[in-house]
Amino acid sequence: MMLFFKQLGWELFRMFARKRTYIGFGVFLAVELLIYVLLTLDRSERGMEKWIERVAGGFEHYFSALTLGFLIVSFTMLILGAVFVALVTGDIVAKETEDGNLRLLLARPVSRFRLLAIKFLACQIYALGLFWFVGLTAFGVGLLERGWGGGMFVWTPEMPRISIFEWNEGLARYFLAITAFVIAYLPITGIAFALSCLKIKPAAATIVTIAYILADWILSKIPLPIFEDYQHWFITPKMQSWALLMYQDIPWPRVLESWAWLIGFGATGFVIGWVIFERRDVKS
Amino acid sequence: MITVTGLKKRFDRNAPAALDDVSFSVKEGEIYGLLGHNGAGKSTALGILLGMVYPDSGEVMIGDKSVQREREAALRQVGAIFEAPSFYEYLSGWQNLKVLTSFSGGVDHETMMETVEWVGLGKRIKHRVGTYSHGMRQRLALAQALLPRPKVLILDEPTDGLDPEGIVEFRESLFELRKDFGLTVLLSSHLLGEVEQVCDRVAIIKGGRKVYEGGTRGLVSEGQLYRLETHPPEDLVKAREIASTLSITSGGEDDLFSLPGDLDSSDFLGALVSGGVRVRQFVRMESTLEDLYLSVSHQPASQD
Repeated sequence: MMLFFKQLGWELFRMFARKRTYIGFGVFLAVELLIYVLLTLDRSERGMEKWIERVAGGFEHYFSALTLGFLIVSFTMLILGAVFVALVTGDIVAKETEDGNLRLLLARPVSRFRLLAIKFLACQIYALGLFWFVGLTAFGVGLLERGWGGGMFVWTPEMPRISIFEWNEGLARYFLAITAFVIAYLPITGIAFALSCLKIKPAAATIVTIAYILADWILSKIPLPIFEDYQHWFITPKMQSWALLMYQDIPWPRVLESWAWLIGFGATGFVIGWVIFERRDVKS
Repeated sequence: MITVTGLKKRFDRNAPAALDDVSFSVKEGEIYGLLGHNGAGKSTALGILLGMVYPDSGEVMIGDKSVQREREAALRQVGAIFEAPSFYEYLSGWQNLKVLTSFSGGVDHETMMETVEWVGLGKRIKHRVGTYSHGMRQRLALAQALLPRPKVLILDEPTDGLDPEGIVEFRESLFELRKDFGLTVLLSSHLLGEVEQVCDRVAIIKGGRKVYEGGTRGLVSEGQLYRLETHPPEDLVKAREIASTLSITSGGEDDLFSLPGDLDSSDFLGALVSGGVRVRQFVRMESTLEDLYLSVSHQPASQD
């Protein structure tokens, strides 16, 4: 087991030594700053003030670093998070096959399953790192603007009603939701990983993953009765499970059900990728 | 040390077989060459040896472990170098070695340093691989193949792209490796000279089939071909007449004589002198691996 973690450590070292791994971090930071500027424009802030005053009261209290951080995260994560997680996971096997690095690894006394498990886990750790980076920087931006303390005002389109928290609970909910993004994005890592194990260009693995997720999201949003019978086939609604953690009272049965689907989807992606890769001839 | 039995592989149902019933064995401490033109099936054979390519049938044993049934145990004894080895360009040579050896269970610092010094990369090992020359990459490839100490070294076109100096250096390294570490070496190449100078035995692969297996040194001494120079040159006609009485055939050219195996060359020379032929030179022609390669390349492929 120690050897597994040692190998995982080197895989992470390799991943984070590569400049392109940081593209996601850089882009997120730039977009966060842009959203921060937009949100703090006089007109936006007045709009927020009216809204918060109307539904929660106490704009000065509830428009805190946490509220601002949460707004930034919820605006950026859906699309950008999907893109960068798919980019890194789509690369993880396909790029190494394309570059020829994989042959040097496979000449070693290591099973393909172990090699893939290390790579899949490294992608999850990358995702966790990225989400925490986004969460922390968004929170940092909020702190710069609003300072420490206050309440938290939360609303996303998926929520039936707004939630309001005091500082400590808001802080816990905020970082719980950030962490839960890893589970929410398991379908993305699962699909990108399975595709990466095919004889495919790394960019193709990323593009197909994003296309699948977008198609799933669009179809799940079409308000036609015909789609109601097929709602259970769509995975993106379940990916919103992170937002359930921001409900005033967390609906744990729904959260756990969603997580079961998401973990199942991600694990299926890994197994499909492994079966494909296990059967493949790796040749120059 | 390596036993390859009945390897068959077809990548595509409509394509010809990449390997068709190829068998050979490599003894401990031997340097064995797989020779063949590009696309002959050498890399497929090496891929199967390393468990990267699955054979349709057949088996590879390294020591007493089957690559197909106990891949990890079998590969614990093996180090491999590929044609144009690809490393992580953004990592240093040292970091590349750490990443790769972690998949072999890790190697202690001292052994790594020794190996790095042995391949002559000591000064540059902490530099980024992206800054390495082709020769340095090849040294790094050798270092990773030697970590941790393998019993068998598998080399796929190891000198491809190296300059002449690099090729000589690599050849010397192979001999040193055998001497210092007692390694068994299996290499594939399409460079006849390289194989001839390095290998104890070769298998020639053509169209996925083995068309020859044997020694390279034995090969050059097996020749029974002689070149005769007379003075005056017209004496060659007289020499031919004498040769025909001794069942000596032409070697393809007027001045070449192919002696039957049971005839000693001194008997032929004596017959020439007593027949009045003025011999200026009588030279034994050595058959090279190239001669053999060309001759078997033009023969239809046959099994073993």
